Amino acid sequence: MMKKELGLCLLLVVISAITGAINPAFLSLVNLLNMANLIGLFGVFALGVGLVIITGGIDLSVGSMFALLGVVFVDLLTTYQIYWPFALLLVLLGGLALGGIQGFLITRLKMQPFIVTLCGLLIYRGAARYYTSDSTRGFGYGDEASTLSNIASGNIAGIPNTFVFLIILALILGVLLHRSVYGRWLYAVGKNEEAARFSGINTDIVIATAYIISGGLAGVSTVLFVFYTNSVSPSSFGNFYELYAIAAAVLGGCSLRGGEGSILGIVLGTALLQVLQNLVNILGIPNSLNFAVMGTVILLGVLADQQLQSRRRRKMALAGLARTAPKSTLVQGKQSASPRGAAALPTSMGDQA
Amino acid sequence: MVTPHVAGQPVLELKGIGKEFGAIRALPGVDMRIFPGEVVGLMGDNGAGKSTLVKIIAGNFPPSHGEIRFDGKAVHFARPIDARAVGIEVVYQDLALADNLTAAANVFLGRELKRKFGPFAFLDHKAMAARALELFGELRSETRPHDLVKQMSGGQRQAVAIARTRLSNAKLVMMDEPTAAISVRQVEQVLSLIHRLKEQGVAVVLISHRMPDVFAVCDRVVVMRRGEKRADKAIGDTSPEEVTSLITGAKEAA
Repeated sequence: MMKKELGLCLLLVVISAITGAINPAFLSLVNLLNMANLIGLFGVFALGVGLVIITGGIDLSVGSMFALLGVVFVDLLTTYQIYWPFALLLVLLGGLALGGIQGFLITRLKMQPFIVTLCGLLIYRGAARYYTSDSTRGFGYGDEASTLSNIASGNIAGIPNTFVFLIILALILGVLLHRSVYGRWLYAVGKNEEAARFSGINTDIVIATAYIISGGLAGVSTVLFVFYTNSVSPSSFGNFYELYAIAAAVLGGCSLRGGEGSILGIVLGTALLQVLQNLVNILGIPNSLNFAVMGTVILLGVLADQQLQSRRRRKMALAGLARTAPKSTLVQGKQSASPRGAAALPTSMGDQA
Repeated sequence: MVTPHVAGQPVLELKGIGKEFGAIRALPGVDMRIFPGEVVGLMGDNGAGKSTLVKIIAGNFPPSHGEIRFDGKAVHFARPIDARAVGIEVVYQDLALADNLTAAANVFLGRELKRKFGPFAFLDHKAMAARALELFGELRSETRPHDLVKQMSGGQRQAVAIARTRLSNAKLVMMDEPTAAISVRQVEQVLSLIHRLKEQGVAVVLISHRMPDVFAVCDRVVVMRRGEKRADKAIGDTSPEEVTSLITGAKEAA
């Protein structure tokens, strides 16, 4: 399990070192802090999407959620002049509610996650554009919510707050996923939902909770992104961001079949994606190749991981074979020692031979 | 082999258990008694009513008529959890294990041990691994608690599935084709696991198509055909040939 994360860390270090050697500007403090900010922004919602992927589902709707929640958030602060803690609370609740609706449709009405969240992607984007008549919403020159703005886009000792948020959320979710009963159930449900149900686990609630967490983190991300861009253009805000999250999760070791992945992996996956984007700029690779570079690296990364895994599996199978062979003769020996086993077993052996 | 506890009280007693699905009569009415520490082979062709009977005992659906008595008391199961609560466990054919988790995690799946820190509860990995190791020890299986299930052999997987039933101190374990999809060596392991259950006074119902396995571990064999119990004999009083002819209907009843 930890091997994957270690490999990813190594890849991150190697790529950074090479890029830094070619262009030292990559390792300059300004550039590193800028990257940390972006990693924080993109990492927060990737964590939620990662949890959903571990259940064996997918969440395609987060990018559009940013647009819808974003325009509502800006409107609440500027047009309606709502005190910012309430606006913040409403946006977070909005994210949780959207996640809850999707979770309900998927677990109770047994719809496929891909379809539910794809429709979410279309509906939220459309709603955001209709709500604003397709016009960009932004803050005026007033200091609406300057406190919140300082929290969301400020820094502590130079470290961007977004990155700090990511670390805090990653720690909380890390405990939830790797140390709590809920996390254990999440993995079980993701791999074998039927087995989990037979074990008395309420699989519907476990899965729905993952979508709700993803929605809630999308709400948090919305606020962070709004104060990063300072305006929301409903047709492009957060466009394709769900794919960044999915890419980060997959790169970080989550399997789209469910049941695999870790919080550390998702964070490292996000970091790797942002480093790649940054590297394209820093090395003077034409910006238009941005996505192509990202796609190639993900493809190669997943391919390499798969090859390594199947090699490890083969090795393990061979080792297992070597282990079980002498052991089963041992079991047999024990049995013939007990009188009942001695009476019973020869029949079976004779028939099978 | 002589049935050991015939004189005692049966752990499970079925009286005229029947099931109709609409106009279709799956089971006309079955009587059966199973004693603690007894291994009963339940045999029959596909559609003979074995799985209907097992599902009724496991609480998947209620019988249309008849009475189930468990430990001397009449019981009614609305859901599988009710059956589990009194001490009936089923080891399913597909084993119902989560591949991506360790052996210990699977043994405790849905019944995790927790350590409390104020309002938070965390998994108690140590205690679960220790208890799982103990259970595997009781079963004399060399399964290691920290191994992932996906790396295990079929026999070890069965050990994990059976250890789950020991965790709840089940009094009756029903096993659905536990030896169907595994190698000959692993079959031996599974049969020895059944012996371990028996030694601990657990009653076992073994549903199997494999004649040699049934004759190796069972004290008694029950043959079903067309929803009816056609035979209920001590293993010593019958032969694989007789059971085969009972299953196929060449012999009507014994």
